Amino acid sequence: MSKPALDLRDVEVVYERRGRERVRAVAGASLAVERGQIVGLVGESGCGKSSLARAAVGLVRPTAGTVVFEGREVTPLTRRARARELARLQMVFQNPYSSLNPRRKIGSQLADALDALDLAPRRGRRARVAELLELVGLLPSAAARYPHQFSGGQRQRIAVARALAADPSVLVLDEPLASLDASAQAQVANLLVDLSRRLSLSLLLISHDLAIVRHVADVVSVMYLGVMVETGPTQPLWSLPLHPYTEALIGAVPHPDGRGFLPEALPGEVPDPARPPAACRFHPRCPYAFDRCKQEDPLLRRVAPGRTAACWLQTGSGPPARPAEQAQRLPLLHTEE
Amino acid sequence: MTALLEVEGLRVRLPTPTGFATVVDGVDYHVEQAQVFGVAGESGSGKTMSMLALLGLLPPGSVVEGRAAFGGKDLLRLRGRDLRAVSGRDIGMVFQDPMTSLHPMLSVGRQLTEHVRRHLGLGRRAAVERAEELLVQVRIPDPTSALHAYPHQFSGGMRQRIAIAIALACGPRLLIADEPTTALDVTVQAGILRLLDGLRREHDLSVILITHDLAVMSSIADRVSIFYAGRVVESGSRASVLPHPRHPYTRALLDALPHPEAARDTPLVAIKGTPPSPQQIPVGCPYHPRCPYAIEVCTTDDPPLAPVNGRRLACHVDPFDE
Repeated sequence: MSKPALDLRDVEVVYERRGRERVRAVAGASLAVERGQIVGLVGESGCGKSSLARAAVGLVRPTAGTVVFEGREVTPLTRRARARELARLQMVFQNPYSSLNPRRKIGSQLADALDALDLAPRRGRRARVAELLELVGLLPSAAARYPHQFSGGQRQRIAVARALAADPSVLVLDEPLASLDASAQAQVANLLVDLSRRLSLSLLLISHDLAIVRHVADVVSVMYLGVMVETGPTQPLWSLPLHPYTEALIGAVPHPDGRGFLPEALPGEVPDPARPPAACRFHPRCPYAFDRCKQEDPLLRRVAPGRTAACWLQTGSGPPARPAEQAQRLPLLHTEE
Repeated sequence: MTALLEVEGLRVRLPTPTGFATVVDGVDYHVEQAQVFGVAGESGSGKTMSMLALLGLLPPGSVVEGRAAFGGKDLLRLRGRDLRAVSGRDIGMVFQDPMTSLHPMLSVGRQLTEHVRRHLGLGRRAAVERAEELLVQVRIPDPTSALHAYPHQFSGGMRQRIAIAIALACGPRLLIADEPTTALDVTVQAGILRLLDGLRREHDLSVILITHDLAVMSSIADRVSIFYAGRVVESGSRASVLPHPRHPYTRALLDALPHPEAARDTPLVAIKGTPPSPQQIPVGCPYHPRCPYAIEVCTTDDPPLAPVNGRRLACHVDPFDE
């Protein structure tokens, strides 16, 4: 297999806090985005997914591990211009209300992005701006308007257009759908899939909503309290979650079918990342936790083709099965050791 | 059985620099005891304004018409002290973002006791007891120490629970929850939905749940109304409307949602265009410029909300009639 477009290995992000203990927001997480692939990264707020995204584009310096983009190490942003090649790694933020300048016209903001990288000669700029707007499904006339004249979904598309101005090969998107209405969410989600296929663009899509990620991503990584707990191709992961946390995320999704299904609430809260539980970080909230989970930290390992999970229930010896089924076989697992 | 709240012909006009904008245009609904009434629609459809009108919380200069019968009084006719006596005590309200609805500089205990001391006239000690009771009710772990903590010390889900506790402080009969789970993770959202469902079952609380997410509505609402451009386009029981939407807009809202049981490759279908602004509501059916089923009459006549087999529908075409 060719090298991934974006490769994060054992990344650790630590925030120092004056007078308080340090927070290990990302505690050694790995993730690879292949060329043209859409990778979903899901988890609750506080799980470190945004910190990992920021490390991926060089907005925070990882305290350990490496981030490699197209064969070149991503260095944190400084006041100096970064290497031109790294500009092909772009980021889109959650809130287009704050990521766009309210006082400048859309056309100027897109032209700025082109100018910063000398990507379009003065003459070709207007045409390129129109092209970028069309790519995200807006009319060229949008260039003459201001951000407040657009709806939330349109604004998010403008933010995507600005990222596309740099002619990127990888886009990292931090909760790009979270602040949108259902309909706008569908529009932007479809646009992202379409762009990825048309421009062979790799996407790292960060979201807390596994239901929407399922419709967009080719593969999914699930993160909990700074570590990856499960990865796999989207469909198998959705129909057969191997980690209890993934199962809980799927169970919490409400169903719009009118049958009155009450989503399952995962007990407890995401613990303070400054003081993560010992051994398996998920054990205090896990309905299947047993002795070993409180004593040893399970490592992320391959349990089926293309699938990894960090759970003592998944031994990898038999075929993969739901956590509940594995838990029933627990006495068996014990005798095996 | 008479309804707890009965709203008829509610019309809200807001002052704008270019004249009045009609944001709610003739809305009827009723809320029964111990029921969850779901109000859905995109942003700008008038869902929130129609609730703020009940509580007298509209911007100054707004014009409200219609009737809102609640406990033998018309909420829309009450002013000042009389309105506060009803809306502060018998109606609780929870907003989308608990970080902005809670006071950041006051302890949770202070914010919880203020209400009961003012409206129920409880003494300090009794108020603290009541506050603890409320925190237990919304399942805040360690309520005694929570009383001395400040909002920023809690997670988003816990903050929303505290906001719900404050709304419940005076034992209201109606709770209006405006997008109470939109800012929360799905796992936390599930907990809040279960909490609201429990309050309705165990405490006979009536709830108006405002949301843009039909999946959220589907989990706890008994009856639903779909809002578009300041009016109701479809309403009925959850179990009839959501599995078999009849209005093209309701259908479109559902098609835009990821469905957990759908086959993977079912694409999400976005509604084309954007909702109209209150200053430029299209003539005829307000949805017709976005509607794939629109015919001639939709561009000229606004369809009335009329009863059809156990629900109410405002559509000339009714393309999903069975």
